[in-house]
Amino acid sequence: MRRLTWFNATSLTLGFAFLYIPMIVVIIYSFNESRLVTVWGGFSIKWYGELLQNEAFLDAAWVTFKVGFFSSIIATILGTMGAYVLVRGGRFYGRTLFSGMIYAPLVMPEVITGLSLLLLFISIGLDRGLFTIVLAHATFSMCYVSVVVSSRLVSFDRSVEEAALDLGCTPFEAFRLVTLPIIAPAVISGWLLALTLSLDDLVIASFVAGPSATTLPIKVFSSIRLGVSPEINALSTILIGLVTIGTIAASLTTKRAVMRRRREEQMAEQAG
Amino acid sequence: MPETVFAPWNDPAEKPLIQFRNVTKRFGSFTAIDDLSIDIFEKEFFALLGPSGCGKTTMMRMLAGFETPTSGTIMLDGQDISPIPPNKRSVNMMFQSYALFPHLTVYDNIAFGLKRDKLPKDQIDARVKEMLRLVQIEKFGQRKPEQISGGQRQRVALARSLAKAPKLLLLDEPLSALDKKLRQDTQFELMDIQEKTGTTFVVVTHDQEEAMTVASRVAVMDHGRLKQVDTPDRIYEAPNSTYVADFIGDVNIIAGHATTQGETVSIAWADGQPPIIGTPSKPMDDGKVSFAIRPEKVAISAEKPTDRNNMVQGKVLDIAYLGNLSTYHVQLPSGIVIKAQTANSRRRASRPFTWEDEVWLSWTDTAGIVLES
Amino acid sequence: MDRHRRHRVGKLMNLRRFSLIAVPYVWLLGLFLVPFLIVFKISLSDIALSIPPYTPTLELSEGWAGFRDFLSQLDFENFEFLATDDLYWKSYLSSVQIALISTLICLAIGFPIAYGMANAPREWQPTLMLLVILPFWTSFLIRVYSLIGILSQEGMLNQFLMWIGLINAPLTILNTNIAVYIGIVYTYVPFMILPIYATLTKLDGSLLEAAEDLGCSRTEAFWRITVPLSKAGIIAGCFLVFIPALGEFVIPSLLGGSETLMIGKVLYEEFFANRDWPVAGAVAVILLLILIIPIVLYQRNEQKMMDADT
Repeated sequence: MRRLTWFNATSLTLGFAFLYIPMIVVIIYSFNESRLVTVWGGFSIKWYGELLQNEAFLDAAWVTFKVGFFSSIIATILGTMGAYVLVRGGRFYGRTLFSGMIYAPLVMPEVITGLSLLLLFISIGLDRGLFTIVLAHATFSMCYVSVVVSSRLVSFDRSVEEAALDLGCTPFEAFRLVTLPIIAPAVISGWLLALTLSLDDLVIASFVAGPSATTLPIKVFSSIRLGVSPEINALSTILIGLVTIGTIAASLTTKRAVMRRRREEQMAEQAG
Repeated sequence: MPETVFAPWNDPAEKPLIQFRNVTKRFGSFTAIDDLSIDIFEKEFFALLGPSGCGKTTMMRMLAGFETPTSGTIMLDGQDISPIPPNKRSVNMMFQSYALFPHLTVYDNIAFGLKRDKLPKDQIDARVKEMLRLVQIEKFGQRKPEQISGGQRQRVALARSLAKAPKLLLLDEPLSALDKKLRQDTQFELMDIQEKTGTTFVVVTHDQEEAMTVASRVAVMDHGRLKQVDTPDRIYEAPNSTYVADFIGDVNIIAGHATTQGETVSIAWADGQPPIIGTPSKPMDDGKVSFAIRPEKVAISAEKPTDRNNMVQGKVLDIAYLGNLSTYHVQLPSGIVIKAQTANSRRRASRPFTWEDEVWLSWTDTAGIVLES
Repeated sequence: MDRHRRHRVGKLMNLRRFSLIAVPYVWLLGLFLVPFLIVFKISLSDIALSIPPYTPTLELSEGWAGFRDFLSQLDFENFEFLATDDLYWKSYLSSVQIALISTLICLAIGFPIAYGMANAPREWQPTLMLLVILPFWTSFLIRVYSLIGILSQEGMLNQFLMWIGLINAPLTILNTNIAVYIGIVYTYVPFMILPIYATLTKLDGSLLEAAEDLGCSRTEAFWRITVPLSKAGIIAGCFLVFIPALGEFVIPSLLGGSETLMIGKVLYEEFFANRDWPVAGAVAVILLLILIIPIVLYQRNEQKMMDADT
């Protein structure tokens, strides 16, 4: 019944052109021989070579990776706990404050989050570095994880948990054996979100990072301020490529799982 | 003294309100409606009955203007309606999902179509109030659709589609969302409202009981074709095919070989059993036939009946007690199972027959129908 | 039944539940609420040439008297300063203006895209969804960066406009407010598309047919049914763009020019360049006060959407 009208086709084409042309231009120019970023000087992959020899970028990438790894794990654990408390915690003292603190960081401007955490670290005398970035990232990422996981928790049938308890599970076993497998996809997407947010963050990191720890976005930001450079184009291309592969792989996995389930259902129906 | 019966379809002088002329509708390679012609008359309560996918909804959507026929014409009041968009047709539709606008109150839902006609405010108000009264929901005018019950929503949907006083009202499974008790009450209300407003109703349904109750005529459809168009009693008592006989109500169908014997036919149907004597509705050739007989026309008795031509002996296999009726599944020696139904008109503690009882089944010469197969 | 044992199990469960609640609770208190209170406190202090660069500092060793002394030195001087210096209120106004206009442009661009997606053939929709989500997962910084090359004097946009003959000489777009608008719209339009798309796909098609059946033209049905029923998605999208755009720092500092006044950038510079922590704190407090209204409205809208779903 649905057909693509002329209007819809136009708006989709223009819309996606707007979203993708700038990125495609960056990708194309990353293979440009010339250092001049607006003149095409022939195909070359030399900027990738230069990028991989740039110690400062490599160090920053390693720091970013470590921060992302640790902060996303902490955020996933805390965020899942937070979601569980929000959805299944029942009434407790300060519940409103708790849910406020889960939702507020989502809408808090990054400059304020960064500023406030920096002032905290200074006033308790914590040296700024990798550790403070991990703390900061884990804090705001956990709220995103909570929101993602709690939306799954809300929608799933609670009687499944009750059945587990009825069959002799302790509450913790019920969580580990029944609830966790059911919410696992949400926990994983929460973790991916936390990881992406951490890898992507510039503002908060530039507040709470000390001179000892520079993340990739901070490094990129300071070199972008000096103008467009072919190395940054190459770096952008690598990152865009990684995200594209990851997103497509994730969507194919879900699609395949859905297809398999549908096929199995059909077979079961035929068998029945 | 007989009243004049409402039967415009029998009057050649009557002009039909709707005419389908060789209408075909294809979706890609799928043929939803296959060369279909039919006349529907003014003030009729016409039911399109069939299983899902039989094309009944497509017919209705073509009348409403949401689909156009691939070939053929649809006339409303003698005018070809295919070039007229849905918003310009004096046809309104009550949707299966009711399609009430969730952001508008009941009042504004009913007023919606009237406002599109740019009627003066007081006229709209009067009409909406009249509609609210007609469907007995005066109290709920200011509520939103989510604040009323399913039965009330059904009434709002009806009132909204009637508000513009359409020449033709289409009802898509109007009662399917209601529970059984409410559905039965609402059937009668629907008939009442149809009579009061004098609007032509075309109802689409897969519920044969609903179609039989409300409709003046029923069209039984299958695979985009009309199987039979007739009054409910004719459809039930004189189905023209095994499909219709089987689709409407419960029926025993026995295959056999017919030999004409004057007014009646004799049907040989199983080894070692006497032939069934039936009366065909029209003259027919000898050959393979189906004999269809409704369970309630099959009498069951412990003693061999003496006054009937058709009788067989069998064993009670199953008994379904339905309260007002009991249905006996009786297995004949050849293995065929025939259903017989009796009314439980007397209150009794025990049933007259029980499992494994040897019983006699019998019926008169005119109880069943002989169908060419 | 062993009452004693049951009591112990109950106690254990309570302990578990307590720690389950306490861990995330304490974490958020310590790393979200307390830091914010510190910002608030510093906003009431005065700048000083010391480490940390403000007075008073709370000396807990001096006991109650020290606390009273500390309180008496706090004042709203910084807020008065913000009110009198027109740099600040101009920045607030200009931030609100930029965020508001960008939001409206996002709506104008995002709605047709979402509408096109929702009405596209069903088998295309997962791919279209993916195409909207992909930029969302791609680094924000890189997306802003990709605009720099496009918008510069010799950039693609100028070349394109000159090629089609719309302009004769290249325009200065980069380092102006125009670039900031383009940047915000470019990076935030997925936030507008997704909630609108979500409400549009939930829209029951028979409602539009019912409207047509009752005498609406297609366009009329769009305005009377589609738009009101996607209101919640439109509102959610607007807030999702407006709220972060208001405090935006990266876009004005990379794409904006000297004329671009946005409060996020002012705060950053106040803190790092001028090292005026108390004023930076006050700027942050006011920014939050401005944001509270849209945030509360947004929350209320979300609640309404959730109620409508159940």
